[in-house]
Amino acid sequence: MKSENIAISLDLINRHYQEPNRNRYESRYFWEELYSLVAASGFSSVEMPYEPVWQFGGRSGVPFNRYCINTKYGDVDAYRTLLKERGIYRVSGITFDSNLFMRNASLDFYFGATGHFAREALGYAAEIGASYFAISPSPFYGRIAQYHPDLQNVMQDFTARTVKLLSELAEIAAGSGVELVLRNEYWSLFGPQKIFSLLEALDGKAKMDVDSANLFIAGVSAEGFIKNNIRQIGCVHLTDTNFTDENNIWKTANPEFPEDRATQVFRDPGTGSVNLESITTLLLDELDYRGPITCSARQTRDPFRALTRTRALLNQLEK
Amino acid sequence: MRNIRYANMCHWKSIPYRKIDNFRDFYYEDRSNIAYYSDWNNILKYQSALGFEGIEVAPWDLADILPLFGSPEKFAEFAKERGVEVIGMFHGAHASHAADHFEEAVSAGREAVDTIVKFGGTYMNTCPTQNYYGVGPLTRDEVRQCAKVMNEIGKYATDKGVKIGLHNEFFCAINFDNHRELIESTDPDLVHYCVDTAQIAIMGEDILKFYEDYHDRISTFHLKDTASQNLPDAVRYSQDPEIADDGTRWFWEPGQGNLDFKGLYRLLKQYEFKGWISVEYDGSPDLLASMAMIRYFLDNELRPIYD
Repeated sequence: MKSENIAISLDLINRHYQEPNRNRYESRYFWEELYSLVAASGFSSVEMPYEPVWQFGGRSGVPFNRYCINTKYGDVDAYRTLLKERGIYRVSGITFDSNLFMRNASLDFYFGATGHFAREALGYAAEIGASYFAISPSPFYGRIAQYHPDLQNVMQDFTARTVKLLSELAEIAAGSGVELVLRNEYWSLFGPQKIFSLLEALDGKAKMDVDSANLFIAGVSAEGFIKNNIRQIGCVHLTDTNFTDENNIWKTANPEFPEDRATQVFRDPGTGSVNLESITTLLLDELDYRGPITCSARQTRDPFRALTRTRALLNQLEK
Repeated sequence: MRNIRYANMCHWKSIPYRKIDNFRDFYYEDRSNIAYYSDWNNILKYQSALGFEGIEVAPWDLADILPLFGSPEKFAEFAKERGVEVIGMFHGAHASHAADHFEEAVSAGREAVDTIVKFGGTYMNTCPTQNYYGVGPLTRDEVRQCAKVMNEIGKYATDKGVKIGLHNEFFCAINFDNHRELIESTDPDLVHYCVDTAQIAIMGEDILKFYEDYHDRISTFHLKDTASQNLPDAVRYSQDPEIADDGTRWFWEPGQGNLDFKGLYRLLKQYEFKGWISVEYDGSPDLLASMAMIRYFLDNELRPIYD
């Protein structure tokens, strides 16, 4: 296995949850040093979350949307130049989730805001040269249920509007050289097996983003899942976990923080129970997968340790 | 009965748990201090232990607090059980200077008041409109329009037992040149003022002179320090200046900057201020240490002057 094309996701920086020293993540200086440290860890390619929230309230130091990039660098080209100067030669992909917009009982608000910012994010992905745009097809199941206790009654409408939105995004993506991939998350309204109905409705215009920890949590064998669906896979996330969802945590309002027992759901790659060696061997050696692969250490307690841990893992897998 | 009670302005980022029952196991997962900052049970206990009996929440906290607790009332009850009451909520009156936004601005303000009532709070400290960049300078008509919105929200709030207090940010379109004009254009019976000591000092006000001039309008304080008084227009009116690119901090814990808090407390005594004061320390890398640092400063430097 050669790891030089494997990207690292910048979701390893905790933007949203309390921890000491978190405030530095909102300043430009932090990120500009980070790029060099990412490169020093052997990654020349990064994935970035697209988060509209940083557009509001003057927090444009976090480089996760077009407004922030334009505010701090003038335009995307200037930002890409800065990344190259720091040793990051490629933004491999952009991720987008819509949890921010599931905040009231109005589905018009949810689909309006999600559609607006997803289109913006997709345009940004194309301009920055990303090869994939990985979107979560729904917010947390439990967050929808909180504002729509009659979820079963609105399910059909919600699904139809989701398909309509994704179809539109798929067309834009196809026209701009970016592949639309659907994230397969354990907490989704459409995960992990239900995603196939969405893919079918999209009629081949989108592929699936396989995430190893998400499958593990849902009790699905990653190897079997990948082998059976390799033609529909457009992106792979190498993620790790020790968590298995035995109490329907996926249905709760904040499922990445299990309410019945505090735990770090997503562990640094190589420190959990997912057999990442088996998955990469299967993908690269047996199935000849040549699509994008991204390592993610979201929820890490120490991003710099996570970078070197991930590099250590990849070095091990290359042997 | 003390004249001043102290609250903590909530600058905690998302707190993912209500109460962690498996604290030791959670700690051992990575042996870091993350377990100490992950549940409201402990966060509120830290506050209570340090003598901050109130918490002022912010609207951006709601997206996390409501799914976690179910309702403002349940959060308030949970906090009260740990010795902390919700005293109010910050509010941003977006675009209140724009006449065509009147209904929306008033409606958003009323909704915020209703939320505060559910929390059991009585203060709504309100930024009168958005940032200067892209909006300022405001015309006199636009300032009057802001006042009109504040009066309208103030009327509703007063009827509900909530005091709205104008709260200036150093980067707001209501700024040094027009914030006194705004205060004086509002109805003193309906609209009060929350002195954010650092914000108005950075804007160019002398905090002692300002309090002398407006002591009868002051409902509460955001007590924080700065070492950057009277920042030039070029900084205050720039795009997104609150979080500096190089990590420069505009705001410090009281006692760590150079504002004259002892002088302010002598004035509080002179004018017999009574009510809540929220301590604030935006930009601190360690909110718990900041709270403890401020508690020492209050007890040893300020409370001996006026309590």
